Amino acid sequence: MKIISRCRASTGIPGLDEMLGGGLIPNRPYVVSGTSGSGKTTLGIQFLQQGVRLGERALLVAIDEPPAEIRENVRALGWDVGKIRILDVHPAAKAYSKRVSLVEVAAQRSVASLREAGPTAKAEAMKQASPEISVQSLQLMLKQELHESPYSRVVIDSLTSLKKLSETMEDMNASIMSLLRFLSESMVTSLIITDLPDPTELEPEIFISRGEMRLHKRMVAARLDRWITIEKLRGSAHDTMPRPMTISATGISIDPRKKIPKTSLKMLQAFTQYAR
Amino acid sequence: MIKDKIKTGIPGLDDMLDGGLIPGRAYVVSGTSGTGKTTLAMQFLLEGARNAERVLYISLDEPPNEVVENMRSYSWDIGPIQVFDATPDILSYDKTPVRDVSTERKVVYFRDSGDQIRLTSDRSPADVTINTIQEMLKQEMKVRKYSRIVIDSLTALRYFYIRTSEENSSMISFFRLLSDIGVTCLVTVQLPEISKPDVETHMARGEIRLHKWFDGRGLMRGVTIEKYRGSSHDHRLRMVKISSDGIVVKTMVAEKQEPIPEDVAPKVEKVEPATAHHEGPSPSTPGESAGSSPQDTPTPPDEHQGTGGGGI
Repeated sequence: MKIISRCRASTGIPGLDEMLGGGLIPNRPYVVSGTSGSGKTTLGIQFLQQGVRLGERALLVAIDEPPAEIRENVRALGWDVGKIRILDVHPAAKAYSKRVSLVEVAAQRSVASLREAGPTAKAEAMKQASPEISVQSLQLMLKQELHESPYSRVVIDSLTSLKKLSETMEDMNASIMSLLRFLSESMVTSLIITDLPDPTELEPEIFISRGEMRLHKRMVAARLDRWITIEKLRGSAHDTMPRPMTISATGISIDPRKKIPKTSLKMLQAFTQYAR
Repeated sequence: MIKDKIKTGIPGLDDMLDGGLIPGRAYVVSGTSGTGKTTLAMQFLLEGARNAERVLYISLDEPPNEVVENMRSYSWDIGPIQVFDATPDILSYDKTPVRDVSTERKVVYFRDSGDQIRLTSDRSPADVTINTIQEMLKQEMKVRKYSRIVIDSLTALRYFYIRTSEENSSMISFFRLLSDIGVTCLVTVQLPEISKPDVETHMARGEIRLHKWFDGRGLMRGVTIEKYRGSSHDHRLRMVKISSDGIVVKTMVAEKQEPIPEDVAPKVEKVEPATAHHEGPSPSTPGESAGSSPQDTPTPPDEHQGTGGGGI
């Protein structure tokens, strides 16, 4: 692997740091976008794992899946992710009783390391009357958690779900801005996982984030082609070509010197030309 | 009637604008993310600073420390540019009183803006709205006569500082204020990947649009003048290079791209109604001059076609 410049945060994904001109500029929020099954969560966990390897504290905000499931999924990849801390915001057991205030929500947060996240933890979570989850309440939960122990890497998986869970669409943009600002001020390098954005809409998180990595997949004949593009990276030179990506037992790896197959390139070209 | 034009400071762009920008008006610089809007705006301000003008950068989407860091890769120094940090504070979501940002924060030089992000005060977060920004601009203009102002970005102003119900009327009144204060303004607008005309480009006196696309060999960049009231201008898509010296507009007209099947990619011209664009007599749109039709005959690259509307 290449030597990573000291002022960059290494992603831990072979080949990606090279595409990013050395890694991510720390203390900034970035978006990882892609369709379902394109490897967004895997990329996020690898990023956190790299933090743990470097002796940093890493936090996964689990909204899409309960922690126990994430643990099972990554165990299939043969990784030891025991040291990644996890904030369980999965809305599994939404109780249709009374509404709790935001302050109470913040008090109910639970952070466990991935090692501890077992079926019991899940059951425990099910028993709890789950509070409303929103962009606002997540910021308040994170504030409390980060106040007690500083983290340098946070992955939010996924903001798309969080936005859907947030009941009030009013001031959504301002809340997202505030959440990302909070992460920056807390000196956290964060990955915000989202679905593939609608090309006719400018999603606020993509617009505010300082960079976007987009994961693509496509069936070509009987083979699944995967590739990655760096859509934007503020303040840094970066690779503008799409690069082939593989997901194996050791996780995601990228070949930053290879070009993607012609058929896939054609599709991407058609898309960007359409987009222009 | 028309005063002397002022230079943008971007090599090649002033030629496209037939000499530069008409002073005292507001112009939009639009483009998708990463097309060079902030870079172009900085070069515009630096040109003013070189002529000993007062220039102001209003930072709405990125904190000044990050702007400084991002601009470090260029050979120029943005230190002599004044900056107002209008990025919003972290929302506290409780009922603590908020203070007006125009009294809370000061205009400083970039060189004095610090290398750390400004931290939200625990006690009283400042409230940034389109109204407080307008107030700040009015106050600043009373104290110091700026000749060039950049608002980066208007998109942030729209997304994070305006309640949706009053979005369009707020934007229109904001443009009114910009023309009242009589400063040459560049406001940046971030476009989604597929865009349609919007109120800001309609209100502006001109629009410089930055493009990027992927053509198989790599990333290509270009620039078009979508609209320029009261001046003749170049109607074609010109190639752009971004190097350590910043943006340079090449005289070369962008090359034709590979033809693509109709069903996959409708032409951009069909997506965009032409109404908000050129009032000039020339029917040419940048997309056509980019050579999207194979029978497109080459035109001399130095030809300036048409004059803008604007009742001149």
